Amino acid sequence: MSIKGGGFQKSSKASEEIPASSLADIAFLLLIFFMVTTVFQSDRDRPIEWPEAEAAQKIDEKSKNILNIWMERDGQVYINDQGYSMDQVTTVVAPLYAATERALVISIRADREVPYIYMDQVQKALVAAGVARVVFASQLEQKMQRERR
Amino acid sequence: MAVLGKKKRKVSDGVPMSSTADIAFLLLIFFLVTTTFPKDKGLSIVLPEEGEEAQVSQKNILHLIIMPNGIVDVKRGESQQIQQMRPQEIEGLWRQEVTANPNIIAAVKTHPDAPYKYMIDVLDALHSANAVRISLQLLEAN
Repeated sequence: MSIKGGGFQKSSKASEEIPASSLADIAFLLLIFFMVTTVFQSDRDRPIEWPEAEAAQKIDEKSKNILNIWMERDGQVYINDQGYSMDQVTTVVAPLYAATERALVISIRADREVPYIYMDQVQKALVAAGVARVVFASQLEQKMQRERR
Repeated sequence: MAVLGKKKRKVSDGVPMSSTADIAFLLLIFFLVTTTFPKDKGLSIVLPEEGEEAQVSQKNILHLIIMPNGIVDVKRGESQQIQQMRPQEIEGLWRQEVTANPNIIAAVKTHPDAPYKYMIDVLDALHSANAVRISLQLLEAN
């Protein structure tokens, strides 16, 4: 409420601008915070040898809607970092499938040397869980590689 | 000489630091934009519903029987004649069969002891030949 033109001097020395020099520090802090708190994949990769396929196509689905089922040579099944036996697969997958409103795509990541009997058992378990879309995960095989074989 | 002439240099000898944050952000944004995460690849199939069984006439079925050594026995419908093939040859065979009979279904029967990779090889060949009517089964002991 100062009177214009009055004899009073403005005593405030504070700058009117927002201090911008620490902006970069704040941004980096936010960046590091989000880098640390971000989680990408819920399960770790298991050591398997991939089968190779020439016609392998990218899975056209958001990664949160893909469930990986790992299959090892001895018929052991791993879902979300946990080992299960074959007859538990249906009870594990069915609630996950229902939770995503039947949009879940199952990616079967099996070792190339798995005896087919286990693959058949897994497929039957998935059918029992009501799953429709299944992908046999494989590496892309190059034409050249095939000709050499 | 500089000492004698008492010349004062006005040029700062430090690297200008004020723009490092800008450079860092530029790099950050560049990598954010250019990063692509590898997407999983695979052969997709649609599983049948539980209890769903389709009656198919034998003459529309091409039996592909995968043995543990990777050899594929090909059997057409009701005929008992068996033709032995390598998985890579299935693609050409399927193209021939499907032009002869568009309603044909590939019945892939795999021996319980056969490694998974041979089934993938056959499925790969069928996918390469644009086959859509595929049935995956386990070879039952005769």
